[in-house]
Amino acid sequence: MKLLVAVKRVPDPEAKIRVKPDGNSIVTEQLKFVINPFDEIAVEEALRIKEKLGGEVVVLSIGPSEAAEQVRTALAMGADRGVLVKTDGAYADPGIIARALAEVAKQEGFDVLLMGKQAVDTDYGQTCGMLAQILGVPCASFAYKVEVEGESKRLVVVREVDGGLETKLIGMPCIVTADLRLNEPRYASLPGIMKAKKKEIRQISLEELGVEVTPKLRVESLEEPPKRQGGRKVGSVEELVRALHDEAKVI
Amino acid sequence: MPNFIVQERDQRFLLFEVLNVQSLFSHPKFSELSEDVASMVLDEAQKLATEVVYPTLSTGDKEGCRLENGQVYVPKAFHACYRAYCEAAWNSIDISKEAGGQGFPRILGTAVREWFSHNFAFLSYPDLTQGASHLIDGFGSEEQKNKYLPGMVSGKWAGTMCLTEPQAGSDVGALTTKAIRQPDGTFRIKGTKVFITGGDHDLTENIIHPVLARIEGDPAGTKGISLFLVPKFLVNKDGTLGNRNDFEIGKIEEKLGIHGSSTCLINFGDNGECYAELLGNEREGMKIMFLMMNGARLSVGMQGVASASAAYLHALQYAKERLQGTSIERFKDPTAPRVPIIEHPDVRRMLLWMKSHAEAIRALLYFTSFCLDKWETAASEEEGESWRGLVEILTPVCKAFASEAGFQVADMAVQVYGGAGYTQDYPAEQLLRDSRIAPIYEGTNGIQALDLVGRKLAMKSGAYFRGLLEHMGQSLGEFEETPATAEIAKAVRKALGRIEEAAFIFMQASAEGRLVVPLSYAHPFLRMFGTVVCAWLLTWEAAVAAKKLEEAKSAGKALEVGEDKEAAFYQGKLLSARYFATNVLPQVEALFQGIQSQDLSMVEMHEESFA
Repeated sequence: MKLLVAVKRVPDPEAKIRVKPDGNSIVTEQLKFVINPFDEIAVEEALRIKEKLGGEVVVLSIGPSEAAEQVRTALAMGADRGVLVKTDGAYADPGIIARALAEVAKQEGFDVLLMGKQAVDTDYGQTCGMLAQILGVPCASFAYKVEVEGESKRLVVVREVDGGLETKLIGMPCIVTADLRLNEPRYASLPGIMKAKKKEIRQISLEELGVEVTPKLRVESLEEPPKRQGGRKVGSVEELVRALHDEAKVI
Repeated sequence: MPNFIVQERDQRFLLFEVLNVQSLFSHPKFSELSEDVASMVLDEAQKLATEVVYPTLSTGDKEGCRLENGQVYVPKAFHACYRAYCEAAWNSIDISKEAGGQGFPRILGTAVREWFSHNFAFLSYPDLTQGASHLIDGFGSEEQKNKYLPGMVSGKWAGTMCLTEPQAGSDVGALTTKAIRQPDGTFRIKGTKVFITGGDHDLTENIIHPVLARIEGDPAGTKGISLFLVPKFLVNKDGTLGNRNDFEIGKIEEKLGIHGSSTCLINFGDNGECYAELLGNEREGMKIMFLMMNGARLSVGMQGVASASAAYLHALQYAKERLQGTSIERFKDPTAPRVPIIEHPDVRRMLLWMKSHAEAIRALLYFTSFCLDKWETAASEEEGESWRGLVEILTPVCKAFASEAGFQVADMAVQVYGGAGYTQDYPAEQLLRDSRIAPIYEGTNGIQALDLVGRKLAMKSGAYFRGLLEHMGQSLGEFEETPATAEIAKAVRKALGRIEEAAFIFMQASAEGRLVVPLSYAHPFLRMFGTVVCAWLLTWEAAVAAKKLEEAKSAGKALEVGEDKEAAFYQGKLLSARYFATNVLPQVEALFQGIQSQDLSMVEMHEESFA
């Protein structure tokens, strides 16, 4: 099995995000970065499939040079090698990311390409669909359970949908996006960290891949969410309903 | 997961900017390491600590241990923790590669351990196993190493240390456990050990107990003590487990804290069949055990650091959130908005006391661990000796001073929380209870003070002691040159002089046959000593912080504390050091006056007068 996993470098969800004075980017200095948590679940799933059926797990990332840290973390979890496509400061929208991933996926070849259902920084959730379209392969999103069907080149993917679970059978090569409950990612071990140091990370630029770097999306502005106001006690149900209707305007 | 465990930035600052541990990575033993790798190791330790170990702090405390039909069961949540901890090999981080461990430098082992030590009830199991593995690695025969080490290093088996007996606690030499020689060269053990941490549990399939005992016919006192390995299940030649050995868990203690750690009474050999193997040479048990105890003393000091750090971070968070009272400017206005208590000067006093102590004892423990690495990687014997001297002198200080500070900081955390801190709704009370054991076990702090005064000061005719004074004096010279630290460095130098004077008073009193003077004042001396070393380390840190701020300024990056986290951190280091030097260091003078008086009221007092 040839397994590709796409991981994105995102700010630590625990970190306090501040908007830069220019109003359309965030302060990244001294910000801690991690692997997008959903992508980490995808890495874990790839490792489990490999442990069962053998093969190779290659980690891909599109981002600044520092994203090598996140690729390295995935290698410490047990992935075999990495590919980093460097954007070097340029803004990469989901379209650019999908096209870059498609190029690398074509170079590498694959049976299953996994990624998280969305990245927790921008929450677009667009890449998977675009990538499947470009590559002309099926995709199953929000995976809750993934199994390889016998000897066949097919995957059984159970998805979480509103009101229940849906089971899909899709042929390989294919793309799967991981949902929260797919698995619990393992922790990197000390020997894993030491081995990761010696594993290969191939670094290429978007230009070298021949990917058009002009984004179709533009960030107009970023705002911090309004500060939460303190609550207040109301005297009666009538007052509560009136407040919800007239002031909060939610009913 | 949010981190309420380790002051992360301070840890990195200390490792990479102050101690410069990168200097170790050029040694062939550690050539695979780099700052990046070390940093990744700390990230992963943090992840496991915050996501897996920290959540069991409270559940482990509430569930506690139980003894049923001779078997001890630990809190359920510890099982997953233990598996994750061992699978990632954190349990063998500083065990040698030859013994199957990861072979990291001590200083990184120490830094990693700080992430897990907040939950010492949990950590006690793998930590004691690590200590016992060090013993077997250092003194076991090839056969014993092959038989026991793989299981212990992988975490499949556990280890303990069995010293204390009902009548032999601090006075180990009084132990009565007997070892009876067998024709096949093995021994049978008979006796009772108490307060055995991790003496039994259900985390592993086997437990190997190093047990101190006296071979029949050997002399009384510490000189007649030998060390034995006593497995819970005998190990067959093929490595499989055989019969259950002849010893029973008599009871587990109900304690003030660390409820998740099983503290056992063990009756060895009630049926005369308790199998034991000699470890090392006969009658060298104490010497060998001391080796393990040095590591264990640093571990307990680290428990103090972790308690202080966790208690401080919890209290800090609470102080930022808890609204109470108005700002000082508007204290007469009843309609003024309520402010977080961190705005009140008295709360700030407590927070800075906690911060400066937590950071000071972290520096103390890390510096000592770093000296251990420097000793082990020294280019010449002479250089090694000088590092060894620092380790010898500082080990009892690490254990005693850090364990006391750990408890005191936890105490102050309860105070910051106010009434809420006294309830079980917040973790402050548990940190207080758990940290109270540290000044007691692994040699009480009284014993540590006697070790410092009675043994360490005089070691190598006082050369180790003089070595430390010179080491500190020399660097103080540099800090006196730096404008930002000149004042505090002078204060530290003055206090350092008092240490020398106090040591001289002890020496003279002893020469005149008044040994009772150093015995009565050993603990105040250790407190003086710890305070001065900590003040010195904080001054060192402040000098580095001042330099960093200076560099940023000359690079055109005028760092503003309100805007820039790094600037705020470095500024915090400067103020932390200044606070400690002005508000804590003067206690040295008071302690010195007591010693200088050589007043012996505590000895002259008739027992009846202690009414």
